[in-house]
Amino acid sequence: MQTGLMSTYKSSLKSKGIIAWVLSLLLFAFYLLIYFTNIPDSWAHLVGLESKWNLYGVLYTIAIIAGGLYFINTHGNSRYQKFRTFTLIFMQVVFAFSIPEIMGMFESKGFNFAKFWPLGIELFNPKYIFDYPILIIVYAFVGSLIAVPILTLLYGKRWYCSWVCGCGGLAETAGDSFRQLSDKRVKAWKFEQVSIHTVLVLAILSTALVIINWGMHYENTAGEWVTDYATFDLIASKVQGTYQFLVVAMLSGVLGVGLYPLMGSRVWCRFFCPMAALLGLIQKFGRFRITVKDEMCISCGNCSTYCEMGIDVRAYAQTNQSFKRASCVGCGMCAHVCPRGVLRLENKWDFRKTADSENRKVFDF
Amino acid sequence: MHYVIIGNGVAGINAANSLRNYDEDAEITIISYESEHHFSRTALMYVFCGQLSEQCVEPFERDHYEKMGFKRVNDKVTKLDTNSNKLYLEKGETISFDKLLIACGAVPAMYNWPGQDLDGVGNFVTWQNLQWLQEKSKTAKKAVVVGGGLIGIETVEVLLQAGIDVTFLVREDYYWPIALDKTESTIIAEHMKHHKVDLRLKTAFAEILGKDGKVVGVKTGDGEIIDCELVVIAVGVRPQTDWLKDSGVTMDERGGIIVDEYLQTNCTDIYSAGDCASVIWFNNVRRPEQLWYTGRDQGKIAAANLFGMEKIYKRGTFYNSAKFFDIEYTTAGLVNFNLDGEKNFYSQEEGTHNTVRITYLPDNKVVGFNMLGRRWDHRILVQWIDEKRTLSWVLDHLHKALYDEEFMPQFKLNKQVS
Ligand SMILES: Cc1cc2nc3c(=O)[nH]c(=O)nc-3n(C[C@H](O)[C@H](O)[C@H](O)COP(=O)(O)OP(=O)(O)OC[C@H]3O[C@@H](n4cnc5c(N)ncnc54)[C@H](O)[C@@H]3O)c2cc1C
Ligand code: SF4
Repeated sequence: MQTGLMSTYKSSLKSKGIIAWVLSLLLFAFYLLIYFTNIPDSWAHLVGLESKWNLYGVLYTIAIIAGGLYFINTHGNSRYQKFRTFTLIFMQVVFAFSIPEIMGMFESKGFNFAKFWPLGIELFNPKYIFDYPILIIVYAFVGSLIAVPILTLLYGKRWYCSWVCGCGGLAETAGDSFRQLSDKRVKAWKFEQVSIHTVLVLAILSTALVIINWGMHYENTAGEWVTDYATFDLIASKVQGTYQFLVVAMLSGVLGVGLYPLMGSRVWCRFFCPMAALLGLIQKFGRFRITVKDEMCISCGNCSTYCEMGIDVRAYAQTNQSFKRASCVGCGMCAHVCPRGVLRLENKWDFRKTADSENRKVFDF
Repeated sequence: MHYVIIGNGVAGINAANSLRNYDEDAEITIISYESEHHFSRTALMYVFCGQLSEQCVEPFERDHYEKMGFKRVNDKVTKLDTNSNKLYLEKGETISFDKLLIACGAVPAMYNWPGQDLDGVGNFVTWQNLQWLQEKSKTAKKAVVVGGGLIGIETVEVLLQAGIDVTFLVREDYYWPIALDKTESTIIAEHMKHHKVDLRLKTAFAEILGKDGKVVGVKTGDGEIIDCELVVIAVGVRPQTDWLKDSGVTMDERGGIIVDEYLQTNCTDIYSAGDCASVIWFNNVRRPEQLWYTGRDQGKIAAANLFGMEKIYKRGTFYNSAKFFDIEYTTAGLVNFNLDGEKNFYSQEEGTHNTVRITYLPDNKVVGFNMLGRRWDHRILVQWIDEKRTLSWVLDHLHKALYDEEFMPQFKLNKQVS
């Protein structure tokens, strides 16, 4: 048995009991207040912070630190889990929280070095990014377009999704107790394939519109930033606004975290995150795969149950199929909880066919 | 063609899956009584302690039967008529078959000990056992587990986790001598004691004591009395074949259904696979294999032969893995067989439970591995045995067979030969 996982299904919090529903409700309420009202500003002032967003940053960071330490305490016997979680905490504390705050103190706009396009679609918004010094502009473009794809080809999307990313960071730490709630049915997988790629298309579309629209602007004689295409300008800002509301606020925030106690901690990452969609596509061509030891699986279901991305790992393991899945964030928990040591995360070029969405066998014979 | 499969365990369901693959139109009926859906028996302990839910241990989605076009009959077969190819079920139904697979598994062995029918005595093998133990563990404070094998230690582990004090009676000189040597077994014994198991080696079990129909204690072979409210007996399993007694199907002295290398019984059109099938081992001993993956393999091979192919069931080099509390275990090949002139290379990484034992013969050819602590790739170990590698070659390449999670501490050999 696995320390920390025993009694999962006896706990009301972890198995969609009353406590889980109450917590979900509170999270929904909290996110709605943060995103759509100014009430939390007064809470921020109470504790001496400038705005609700500072308060949110502090709370988010505390959640990752506390959840991360708890996770290391229970799963730290695996060095992979330990290193990964320390890195996540470090990334949140230093890159996502401290550096932007410090930059703010020097009267410059904060910048999160752990965020890339298309998770932050604003990075490719000329109006937004050109406000920054040239080095940061280069970082944003080279990072998003070159470094991120290369690292993903070499190590899989895990280097980002379960080692660096702030959304993943919260899921892996404070949200860890809910990983077993992800939906493992093929139905959910089918839905995910449609939904996540739709958001990716929206992200690309929205970015493209914003860039084109910017290109159609010019400085007039009075020194104003204007365009001759008012309708296009309107459409571009509407699309951008809708994306901001629907994807960033509703899907990543309100639903993404609000549903932790009911549908697991990776609802956003699995169904909607455009970054995850893009990295997933790249991952399929990269080195990272999960290797299955032949004929050793006892079909116990620990791997599938504790897969936060809802991958039915057992379906591969019990049919001796090593596999690559676009959604796998490489958290490594399937390998960690497997009582027979069947699974292993590996980075190796191996062009033998691995199972994936197209050729998975449900059984072998 | 109507195929009937008795048993919804790993052997039965895999046979059904394979049959459907060979024959899209065949009528396939699966009869069993233990549970509605196929579940993983190996995972009972995780359900007991709440690490997995009941549905988590079902290897296929619930609509599997419907999707695959299997007819599912929930009943117990009480009689097989081999002349008319008919099965008689407990609720009165009869089912005719063209071809039959018997994959009815095994039940806990009980040897008529005094007191074994008392309330509070049971096993941990079936779904019903699981429910029984869940119920009993709510009130029990002290339990005795009898039998020093894998199911025994798993039961001890889950009862401890439920907050029950456990005394573990092992008849042998040390825990699990068929698989472990004394050094390895001592590591496991120390680990059990560390987890507060009251482990009693060399302790036979004589009688269960009761009062008003309920268990109050256990009497050991030495006459010592251990108070407890719960006794779990895990001294092995035996084929569940009592209902076949007068059917004409030949069985071995322990009730295992005798099959040939095609997994066919003495009757044409009747095959057997899994825990109930008595197969010939590499050393010509005849007995059931009673492992998860062999059950799966046998199911698939039996299906091919039911369909009319001629596939031979041939066991390659033996391997298995298990877990004793937190210590993982991998074995391959022939260890503990006391082969002529065998020697053992033994190494333990300092300050850890990680051990390596390699059995080799006087010609230095390696024949077996027994590993504790770390994870090993049994496919590579088996390959080396099959390739008849020498000990020194194996030691030089051993790290290649490691299968640890990433970033685990580097593997170090401490060479010593015993
Ligand atoms: C607690 C426990 C832990 C284990 N752990 C491991 C492990 O880690 N590794 C490993 O390799 N093996 C392990 N095993 C052994 C493994 O589970 C068995 O070898 C395997 O389940 C055998 O499968 P089977 O299909 O032959 O039979 P079973 O799974 O026993 O299935 C028998 C089926 O037959 C049906 N049936 C029986 N009689 C009748 C009848 N008269 N009429 C109708 N239906 C009938 C039953 O309802 C049942 O569906 C473990 C066993 C137990 C009990
Ligand atoms: S791979 Fe491991 S955890 Fe997953 S079902 Fe098989 S034995 Fe269980």
